[in-house]
Amino acid sequence: MNTIAILKTVSLTKKYSSISARGYAVQDLSFEVNKGEVFGFLGRNGAGKTTTIKMICGLLLPTSGNAYINGCETVDPNSRRNLGYLPEQPYFYEYLTPRETIHFYCKLKGLNVKEREQEWLRLSGLLGLESIADIRLKNFSKGMRQKIGFAIALVGNPDLLILDEPMSGLDPVGRKHIRELIQQQKELGKTIFFSSHVLSDVEQLCDRVGVLSRGKLVATGHIKDVLQQDIRQVEVVFKDVAVSLMPFLKQRGTLLRTWENYVQFQFDTILTANQAIAECIHNGAVVIELTPQKETLEDYFMRMQIIEEQQKKKGEIYYSRVEE
Amino acid sequence: MRILAVAQNTFRESVRDKVLYVLLLFAGVVIIGSKAIGWISIGQDIKIIKDLSLAGMSIFGALIAIFVGTSLVYKEIDKKTIYTIIAQPLHRYEFVIGKYLGLLALIFGVILLMSMMSAIYIVILGGEINHWYFIASFLVFMKLLLVTALSVLFSTLSSPILGAIIVFCFYVFGHATGVLIDLPRQFEGSWSKPVLEGLYYVLPNFANFDIRSEVVNGVPVSYSYVTYIIIYGVLYSTFFIYLAILMFQRKDV
Repeated sequence: MNTIAILKTVSLTKKYSSISARGYAVQDLSFEVNKGEVFGFLGRNGAGKTTTIKMICGLLLPTSGNAYINGCETVDPNSRRNLGYLPEQPYFYEYLTPRETIHFYCKLKGLNVKEREQEWLRLSGLLGLESIADIRLKNFSKGMRQKIGFAIALVGNPDLLILDEPMSGLDPVGRKHIRELIQQQKELGKTIFFSSHVLSDVEQLCDRVGVLSRGKLVATGHIKDVLQQDIRQVEVVFKDVAVSLMPFLKQRGTLLRTWENYVQFQFDTILTANQAIAECIHNGAVVIELTPQKETLEDYFMRMQIIEEQQKKKGEIYYSRVEE
Repeated sequence: MRILAVAQNTFRESVRDKVLYVLLLFAGVVIIGSKAIGWISIGQDIKIIKDLSLAGMSIFGALIAIFVGTSLVYKEIDKKTIYTIIAQPLHRYEFVIGKYLGLLALIFGVILLMSMMSAIYIVILGGEINHWYFIASFLVFMKLLLVTALSVLFSTLSSPILGAIIVFCFYVFGHATGVLIDLPRQFEGSWSKPVLEGLYYVLPNFANFDIRSEVVNGVPVSYSYVTYIIIYGVLYSTFFIYLAILMFQRKDV
């Protein structure tokens, strides 16, 4: 992979000092996203993801530090010539149709009449907008709006796509469609920077992730490097376990549920799980399913929250959270 | 090109927002007003219809300029439609100028239609229309150029309601700035006299754009005065738009 940074932030900071919001939304954020990679920007609600994205897209001005796209500072509109942006909940001019909307954004990108028509044909084909080309956007569902938002982000075929929670609020079909679109853009060699808190999306799509917590970058790297890889617990489903064996199993693990002639137990270590399995098989039971439990992104965030609270008690975190 | 795209879009938005219904209201006021006045005035009805039409253009135009203008930038931020616009290679000044020009184009169209409609109506009633009627209409537009610029400035600073109240006050007060210079004798020697006189020179004087009585009564108006008023309107508007750009330049959206 080419390792030229297409997006870079250097000590990027946003501090609010108004009555409604006070403190650091983003603090001293430095990271790089290389050309051609898919970078997941993770964090809980209010971690500062949207604030960071807004600074990159020129919507918010940094209090200090800088962000660069292709080496050009993001406060300069020219940095956005090669940028496509999809906000968390895209808002459009309700009185326009998809065709008019795409033409409008093409004009803002500086495309001429012929290029605008070509761009409309390309994007309407890619996102299946032909049948709704002349219907006003005010009549559209969430999924359709997300599609239009994605089409706007792709206007001018930019090399860098910034997607803020692109799958938020979509049904499974809509999520799948957006995931496929991201995958498609990845295959075309586009750089994609997207924020999310859904592990499955991140795992499927991202080359690297950055984790933001209370406005600070707390980890970067591959998702597997970020999450603890140790097996935390083991869940086992048994069939036909003798009643006499139940006290033995309950002593070693936690009974999660029983149904028909099945029982599901959770064991804290592989060793105890193995002992239980051996005893059960010896007594005629069958192991139906064995699932090792590793740390999930949700677990990771919970772990981070505990650390943050400990730090806060010690006074190491001195800023208050700003709602995004 | 980008300014034009924003302007076209603003124009289209206003048209689709049914702002042009104000034309029907204008037509209704002029026709009903002229009928009513026709009963109480003898031989003066054409003059009164001309007067009523020019006053109507000014009032209805100002309503569009104030109510649409003060929400122009604010609405984009409030409805978050601005997110995907600012994320384009678009300078913020291009956005403000585009919004301003889009609304101006609409107001120009509205004033043009109003002046055409009223001129045709006056001719039908047997009156005469000369080019001064259209010059007076154009000066109404020049006044609205300034009111729109002021409205756009407040749309970058405050909520539409507050902005509309402030601009409306400017509009009303701007028609009566003469009182600041024609102060009673009690003001002689007091500190308030230079302050009020200073305000007279700083605040835009909307009454300057009003050549209605002269046109209606056939009193000559010099072209040099018309030119001076056009320059006056353009300079003031440019100043207010410049302030609006300064306000919007570093605004978090």
